[in-house]
Amino acid sequence: MVHTLFVARLTLNALGRDRVLHTLLGVSLVLLCLVPAFSLFSMRQVQELAVTLVLSCHALLLIFLAIFLGSSTLWRDLERRHTSLILGLPLSRSHYLLGRFFGVGLFLLLFSLCYALLAVIAVSVSATFYEADRPVIWMNLLAALGGDLLKAWLLAAVAFLFSTFSTSLFLPLFGTLAIYSAGSASQEVYEYLNSDFSSQISAGVRWLAEIFYWILPNLTLFDLKTQAVYSLPLDIPALIYPFIYGFVYTSLVLWGAEFFLSRRDLV
Amino acid sequence: MNAIEATGLKKVFRGKKMQRVEALKEVTFSLSKGEVFGFLGPNGAGKSTTIKVLTGQIRASSGEAFLWGQPVSHPSSRQNLGYLPENPSFPDTLTASDYLRFVGKVFSLPQGELQGKITSVLSRLELDTTMKRPIRGFSKGMVQRLGLAQALLADPDLLILDEPMSGLDPLGRALVKDLISELRQKGKTIFFSTHITADVEQVCDRVGIIVGGRLQCVEPVEELLQEGLSGYRIYYRKDGTMCELPAAREDFPREMETLLSQGIEVDRVEPQRRDLETFFLETVERARYEN
Ligand SMILES: Nc1ncnc2c1ncn2[C@@H]1O[C@H](COP(=O)(O)OP(=O)(O)OP(=O)(O)O)[C@@H](O)[C@H]1O
Ligand SMILES: [Mg+2]
Repeated sequence: MVHTLFVARLTLNALGRDRVLHTLLGVSLVLLCLVPAFSLFSMRQVQELAVTLVLSCHALLLIFLAIFLGSSTLWRDLERRHTSLILGLPLSRSHYLLGRFFGVGLFLLLFSLCYALLAVIAVSVSATFYEADRPVIWMNLLAALGGDLLKAWLLAAVAFLFSTFSTSLFLPLFGTLAIYSAGSASQEVYEYLNSDFSSQISAGVRWLAEIFYWILPNLTLFDLKTQAVYSLPLDIPALIYPFIYGFVYTSLVLWGAEFFLSRRDLV
Repeated sequence: MNAIEATGLKKVFRGKKMQRVEALKEVTFSLSKGEVFGFLGPNGAGKSTTIKVLTGQIRASSGEAFLWGQPVSHPSSRQNLGYLPENPSFPDTLTASDYLRFVGKVFSLPQGELQGKITSVLSRLELDTTMKRPIRGFSKGMVQRLGLAQALLADPDLLILDEPMSGLDPLGRALVKDLISELRQKGKTIFFSTHITADVEQVCDRVGIIVGGRLQCVEPVEELLQEGLSGYRIYYRKDGTMCELPAAREDFPREMETLLSQGIEVDRVEPQRRDLETFFLETVERARYEN
């Protein structure tokens, strides 16, 4: 298991030196500085708009990072044959895979933490412009950021899975993007199909949709934005369920990735 | 226990459109502790494929292989192995010392000794000044040296090196040859692939020649050179001028005797042999003809 940590550290070390990521971090810093200014466009709901902006930016950046890093990390190792060096060491493929994943996951976590800190400042500044009906519940804001992080981890795992059997970057990149879109919509589609409006839809389609609903990740679960924006009370099960779901789903996907990687010829 | 044990290795690559490439047809050999083995073969013969099977990178379609008695599918078979892949490529945003630190940890080298080992292996490969530079800026030869450095770091008893001299200048080649001789002296087992027969002649105990995925022969280098000995050329001085006299192997003692009895001063004697290169070319020719 310590091997996993060594690989994770190596991954984090390399990501820390990546210029693309430096640029991205700079961009997010600029965006956050702009939040208080932008939130003034709303006359009365300054604080609500600030929270919305902060959360949307976070979700967007994190999902971009998850898909980009998730797709490119393994793919680059396999494509540039870093694997022949790394896996020529007394290191098992599953430890390597988990290590790479934890490295990316940890990077996303660090990014999220830095972002959260700046987000709290940005929202606090905005909130002073106009007094809101309800004060910000900081726990809710953090929970919403955490939900995004869980979603990002899951998507990174999906991207890892795709890269274990693909030889091009195309599949992991667009495959994960497709899963992301489908996973964000699956709850709505499921609810629609189970409502009265859809009585004419054939049983076959319904059945197919049901299967997809259970296979695809249900990303709506991780969306805790409404509670954060309007400072609504958040109950504990609402937090625990996405957490467990995310953990189990991500583990299963990684297990699949390990299955494919262990059978792949590293040529 | 043998350092390497390979029996009946076969490997079929399946490409797109159902193409089949039989990269290995039959490879069986073993390497005992302390041996230096040169693995010769023309381009595309299956040297790298054999090495990738031995290091667990690819799975043989059939046959089995062991390092120090452990099946190669298991990571612990590589616990006492230093491996240099063909044209190594490093995660290039890292520095040489970052990467070596990682390698040392995977081999569970004690934290206290790690920095010392890194410094000494880098200086052995004449890379000490580049320790803190990102690998991205390394030249081809520097990357190759770093590849050797990571293989040597944990001081393993077995080294598998895929073309260790490739990309190196004459100085680098000499360095690697020195290094191999030094390791041989220390009792390390070394298996390396190459195209260059002279390298094998100088440092190897045994040579294996692979052609078209089939291991054609495994011979002790010394014996090959002895067998290949066809005769001698005797250089002597007569009336101040240098003369030479070719002598067949069996005639040599008699010729020498005659010269010496005439009181002639013999300058030097050079063995005439069919060298490894000729043997190699003959083997490749024969293998190709048989197919
Ligand atoms: N991934 C692959 N897919 C299909 N064929 C392959 C693959 N890898 C190797 N081969 C084939 O297997 C054969 C042996 O290749 P290998 O790389 O082992 O040769 P080599 O002896 O190392 O040659 P070189 O001296 O050029 O390095 C070649 O015919 C090659 O085309
Ligand atoms: Mg090769």
